[in-house]
Formats: sequence, C-alpha cells, structure tokens
Amino acid sequence: MARYTLGDDDLPHAAEFMESPIGYHSPGLQRVLNLMRGGALDGKYVLVTIEPCRRWALARLPGRRGAPVSIVSGVEYTSQLDAERDVFRRRWHELTGKELPF
Amino acid sequence: MLKITAYADRISCFPGETVDIKVSATGLRAYDAELRRIIQGDINPDGPGYRDELIAVDLGGPFAAREQTIRTGSYGLVDKTARLCPSGSFTLAALIWPTLPGRGRQAIISTGTVQNGCSVFLDDNAMASATLTDNGRATTAASGTPCRERAWYVVVASYDTQSGRLAVSQTPVKSFPNVDDLGSSSVPARGHAAPPQAPFLFGAVDTEEGFPGCFFNGKIENPRIYDGVHPHETIAEAMLGRTATPAPAADWDFAAGMRGDRFSDRGPHRLHGRFFNLPHRAVSGCGWNSGLHRWTEDPASYAAVHFHDDDLYDAGWQTDFTMTLPPDLKSGVYAVRLFSHEDAQAEYFVVLAVRARHGRNDVVFVLPTASYMAYANHRLGIDVSETEIGAGQLLQLDRHHLHLQEHPEYGLSLYEVHNDGSGVFYSSRLRPILDFQPKVQGFIGGSGSNIWQFNADTHILGFLEDRGIAYDVLTDEDLDREGVAAFDGYRAVLTGSHPEYTSTRMLDAYQGFLAKGGRVAYLGGNGFYWRIAYSETLPGVIECRRAESGIRGWEPGNGNYWHQFTDELGGLWRRIGRAPQQVFGVGMTAQGFDLSSPYLRNTSSHDPRAAFIFDGIEGDILGDFGLNGGGAAGNEIDRADFSLGTPPHALVLASSRLHTDIYLMTPEDLLDPTPTWSGTQCDMIRADMVFFETQNGGAVFSTGSIAWAGAMAWNGFDNHIATITENVIRRFAEKTAFG
Repeated sequence: MARYTLGDDDLPHAAEFMESPIGYHSPGLQRVLNLMRGGALDGKYVLVTIEPCRRWALARLPGRRGAPVSIVSGVEYTSQLDAERDVFRRRWHELTGKELPF
Repeated sequence: MLKITAYADRISCFPGETVDIKVSATGLRAYDAELRRIIQGDINPDGPGYRDELIAVDLGGPFAAREQTIRTGSYGLVDKTARLCPSGSFTLAALIWPTLPGRGRQAIISTGTVQNGCSVFLDDNAMASATLTDNGRATTAASGTPCRERAWYVVVASYDTQSGRLAVSQTPVKSFPNVDDLGSSSVPARGHAAPPQAPFLFGAVDTEEGFPGCFFNGKIENPRIYDGVHPHETIAEAMLGRTATPAPAADWDFAAGMRGDRFSDRGPHRLHGRFFNLPHRAVSGCGWNSGLHRWTEDPASYAAVHFHDDDLYDAGWQTDFTMTLPPDLKSGVYAVRLFSHEDAQAEYFVVLAVRARHGRNDVVFVLPTASYMAYANHRLGIDVSETEIGAGQLLQLDRHHLHLQEHPEYGLSLYEVHNDGSGVFYSSRLRPILDFQPKVQGFIGGSGSNIWQFNADTHILGFLEDRGIAYDVLTDEDLDREGVAAFDGYRAVLTGSHPEYTSTRMLDAYQGFLAKGGRVAYLGGNGFYWRIAYSETLPGVIECRRAESGIRGWEPGNGNYWHQFTDELGGLWRRIGRAPQQVFGVGMTAQGFDLSSPYLRNTSSHDPRAAFIFDGIEGDILGDFGLNGGGAAGNEIDRADFSLGTPPHALVLASSRLHTDIYLMTPEDLLDPTPTWSGTQCDMIRADMVFFETQNGGAVFSTGSIAWAGAMAWNGFDNHIATITENVIRRFAEKTAFG
C-alpha cells in the first residue's frame, strides 16, 4: 500500500531517529517510520518480553494465525531505545539494500 | 506456552455464592488453586509493585491436570427427526453466499454420518457438490464450475431412487455476460439407500471424530428438503419466491427466533433447530434490496445466517471444581489463582468481581467488563501491522500473546476480522480470556508499563487501597441486568480507565444515578463510545455493530447495522444522539499510543466550585509523569464539546495542549480530511478535565484520558494526579449535595 520509497534524502531523518527514537518527530521522519512500521505482517519485527520493561528478544511475526513467532537467534536488548535503533537499521537495510552509514 | 488456562461460569457474584471453574492444564500432573484479592497487577519494576492478598479459604485440590479443547466453527443443528421423504427420493436446496470459496470442503446441508448420510457442500474447487454415503461407499456429484466469492447462488441436490441418479446444480441469482458460473451434473448412484432418518446440520458436517467439521464460511439461507425429485429449475424458482409449489417437507426459517439461537421449520414436521457458536444473524439476505435496514421491519430479507469456521461462543469445558465464596468476603476484585508446584511459570488467574450485598460502602468501582470482553484475546499487535505505527514504537509480545498467536481457537475479539474478512460481531467470556488477568502486558499501553484494560484498571484499585478509600465493585454486566438499581446505596461511582463499550441499559443507569443526585468520576478515556447489546437469552456475550463511523477495524456490511440481540441500531452513541459529552462532559477525540502529555490548568480551575478538586495542588502543570506514556493525558483522549452536549455550566478545568503526530482526529470528526488533523497541529486533539454539577446534588468529574490511571500510580501513588483523584472521590462520597 505504501507509495513512499526511501532514498538518500532520508538520511537526515534517520539521524534524527537515532537521536530520539520515540516521541515527537519531524514530518519527514514520521513518513519514514510510517513506511517502516507498516507493511506486511509476515516477517515483521516485534519484541518478545523476557523480563518486563527490562529485557527483550528480537522476533518476527509469522503473518498467519496459529503459526509460532520466530525468535531472531542471539539478538536481545536491555534498552527499548537500543532495540528501536537496531530495528531501524535492519529495516533501512532491507528497504534500501544499504547499511545505514551511522 | 501457557500450561494452564481457565475460565469461570460467572464474572460477578455475591459472597456465599458458588462459581464453577473450568480448567485446561497440559504438561503437568496436577495443579493447585487459591483465592486472591487483586490489588495491583502491574509488574513494571518502575511501578508501584505487584500486590495481591491470599484469602484463607480451602478450594480443594490439588487437582489432576487434564487438557480441554476448544472447537471453533458455527453451525445449525436440527436434532429432532421425522420421516420427511416417504418416497425415498429427495431434493435438498439452499441459498448460499460463500465468502471463502475454494478454501477446503465446506458443508451447506448434511444429515446422517460419515458412513451413512448425505451432504451438500462446496468442494475444494468451490463447486456446489453432493455426496451420498452408504456403509462408507460414497458417490459424489459436482456442478463443474466454481461459485464466485460473495455472490448468491441457489444450490439444489437431488437423489432419485428410481433412476439411481444423484444430481446437483448451482444457479447464480445474478448473471453477468461472459461469466459462466451456472453449473450442474448428475452421476449414477444406483444401489444407494435414501439417507437415514437423522439430524440435520447446516454449515457443517459430522466428522469421523464425532464433532462437526468442514464449516461453511459465508451465508446460508432457507435450507429446504422436498420429498421426491423435482426439476432443479423449479426448485430454484421456488427458492427465489417465484413459485409456491412444490411444498417442502421441511422449510427452515433462519429469521425466526432472531434474538436468540433458535430457528424454526415452517414445514409440516416442525423440525426446529438451534445455532451453535454464534454465527452472525440479523444480516442481509438474498432478497435484501436496501429498502429497509431494520430486521424487524422486513424479517424475510434477513433470513440469512453468516457462518464462520472461527466463530466461538461457549468453549463448553467441563467444570473442574466449584468454589463457594466465603459469606463474609468483602467486595472487591478477586481471582482464582491456578498454579503448579511442578512449574513456577504455570500460573493463571480467573478474575471475578465480588459485590456487596449488605453494608455497602459509599464508593463503587464499575469494572468495565463489557470493554474487557470487547478486547478479549485481541490480536491488534499480531494481526494488524499498522498497530506499530499507532504505538510509535516496536510492539512487545509477552507470553500470553505468544500463546494466543499459536492458539487462535481461543477465539477472537471485537477488534478482529474472521478468516473470511468479515468483522467479529460477538465476544464471549465463556472461554479463557488471556488478557483478563493481572501481570499481563498490552500492545498499546504507551511507553512504560504498557498495560491495557483490566490490568490498567488495577492502577485504580491499587490507588484506592493505597489511600485507604473503602470501595465496592460491580460489573457492566450487573449494570445491564439491574439498571440504576445496581447503584442503590452508593454516592460515588468510579469508572475504569477505558469503559468504551456501553449498552443502553448501562448508559440509562448512569444517567438515572446522576439524576438522583449521584456522583460519577470518569477516570478514563474513550468511554461510552460504542453501543453494545447483551442478550436476554445467551449469557456472557456482547454484540457490537460498528455502523457508519468511529475508529474501527471493520464495518458490519450493508444492511447489518441493527443488533441481533436487541433490535437496536448499532454504532457510536454520538451518532445515535447520545454523545458521551451529554452525560460525562467529554467524549473521544483522538488516540495515539506513544507518549502521553501533561494537562495545563485553565482559569476555570480557579473557580470556587472547583476548589475542593485542587486542594493542596500547586502549579499549573498537571501530570507531566506517569506509567502510561510518561504523562497523564494520553492513549485515547476526550474533549469537552458544548456542541455535542457538554453541559453549559461545565468547568473545563485543565487541558492537554500538545500531542505527537501519532495522535489523529477521530473519523467522525474528520468530515473533510486535510493534513492538519494531528497532535502537533489541531487544538481539538486534547484531553479535557471537566467538572459539573447535576440535578439534585449530583456531580461529574471526568479526566478524558486512559493514561490518567497510570499517572495516579506513578511514584507509588504519591503524586498530585493521585491527590486530585482522592480529593474528588472523598468529596463525591460525602452526603452534602452539590449546589
């Protein structure tokens, strides 16, 4: 459904996200996040709580009812903001084919 | 995964009464049970701390663990039998509107068993088909062409004992050039006996396991059986009401008994039947022509029933033990805690409200159980990708979410769509509701504790305990059943954090209570938004038709706006002329699930009428903290609106002034969309704190924010949001009338 595609013009928005992943965002960053956070359910990144509000594992949704959620092996976070930044980098790579340069 | 899940036959009871507990326990040999009073269910280490209290009562046990299963899928059953077809030959017919044609075999009409019986169904290729089975030997005929999705067909099947031919046909009610979906065929079936005199199933077939299966997805209308074989064209004409002959031997009317789960047979044998697992009734049928929208005005146009393979009403589990509540138990929120010494993780809470029969306190907290049921086992974070956009952060799944994802048989909430994409109209508590427990987290509770509905409401319970405010509890279900009498003896009524779903009798009860001088503190947001209906005959279930507007994941479909249970128009209370502003001063304006905001005091807050509210409060910024998004105004927020009915003398005490752009205007306000209706731009996106007096000494205080409760609980309930709330409740509990 999304029409917007990421490009180098979005690098400043990515930098803004890295500064402040949750909260007030510029319209440009919000548009980037709308693209990254929507889309297909199959393979969508989510966090699985290991310790409430303290520790999470990265996981991916199966996209259909009844199938198990897949844990991404070896990826855990003890900071919600670190999780946000890591998933942003992963999504940036998946959407642009490039590593985020910072 | 969860090794124990359970539910009770009741959600609200008085001391001394009994409750049946139904348990499924796997991977364990035994489990134990104890009764606990729930005080504070949030397990956020930055919160006030989990707290419950063991009640000294022996519930028996340990209990042997056993697995109980849940079987979804709706169907109709006629369990009486008669000699319908003396000739031995027969013709079966029905109108169908398939919604998942080609998704496996789906039964339309069946009778008998797998070994000896007859069924009319859509086959794997969506072709109308008929099978005769005789001592396990099956003969099948198929129409030869698939049915289209969401199109009406007359399906006819017949068996002629003379010629030994089994025939089937499908006739589209509406034809299109170059679309060939008319089909028929017949096959030799010599030697088959006529089907046994056996019960009929509609929308399912008896399987070898002894349970109904092969559920139909879509609408079925007016199944019939005729004695003898008749030309299929003639039967198709009869099914469409163009001829009255021949006379059917059984003629099932799905419009009869609409408010409940029964249907009738207009034929001579009166083989009446019953629906199981709540298929959608009061839905437009084949003959509906958009002229009338209310099923009572034109029942013949509402003779269709929409079946789903994932419908669920009553899980039907066996009772594992019956608990008798101590006769002197004080009113409160309790839970039967089921646990096992074999695994510390194996724990499940069956939550109950215990009411006060005598010696009521001045304050009563209304557990918004209709809203708990609306959200019961909701899958917003696992079924709806865009939930992450609304949350403004990655979604977090705890173990109850993981269990739910792997076990869709626990049933859907009013937020889901069925497997065929149609909205879920009914939600029941006669099944384990995994998110109706303490200790669970939500998807959209904002940054922080991330709790929602029941567990979020325990912030209010914890506050009442912390401040030493004596209170009773009752539930939405009590309010619907008893009306304003449920409030007898109380001076102050407290709502939960998100009492979104309200029946007519519930709303009438609040208004009646206020008219008599009662006081209501609405401690939440997006309350009293959707109209729902309880059933007079089916316990423990609510119905919701999300008609025309509102924030909604689905719409009910043309002609389907009136509730089955009550014959009331569904939708927003605002659309029905009873906007929440009229009763509570505020009503839903926006939602966002990232950050919450503080309120800023308005000049009205210095009005002497409001002095009691702000006693001991300093400064103009209120609630710049909280466990739910870091502020007191957030998640789902309400505004005062004098044009929608906020009383003219209401004081708008404080308002939030800024929200993130996750917060967007409600669709009912967004008549002509422009890119200006977001939290940083639109001043209608705000939470208003409101106070006003009512007739006969009553009063209303409303916070207009779900996040309010999470702010009350911040810093161990030691903060000025908690103080404001305490000021309001203590004054509301006094006898002195408001002037």
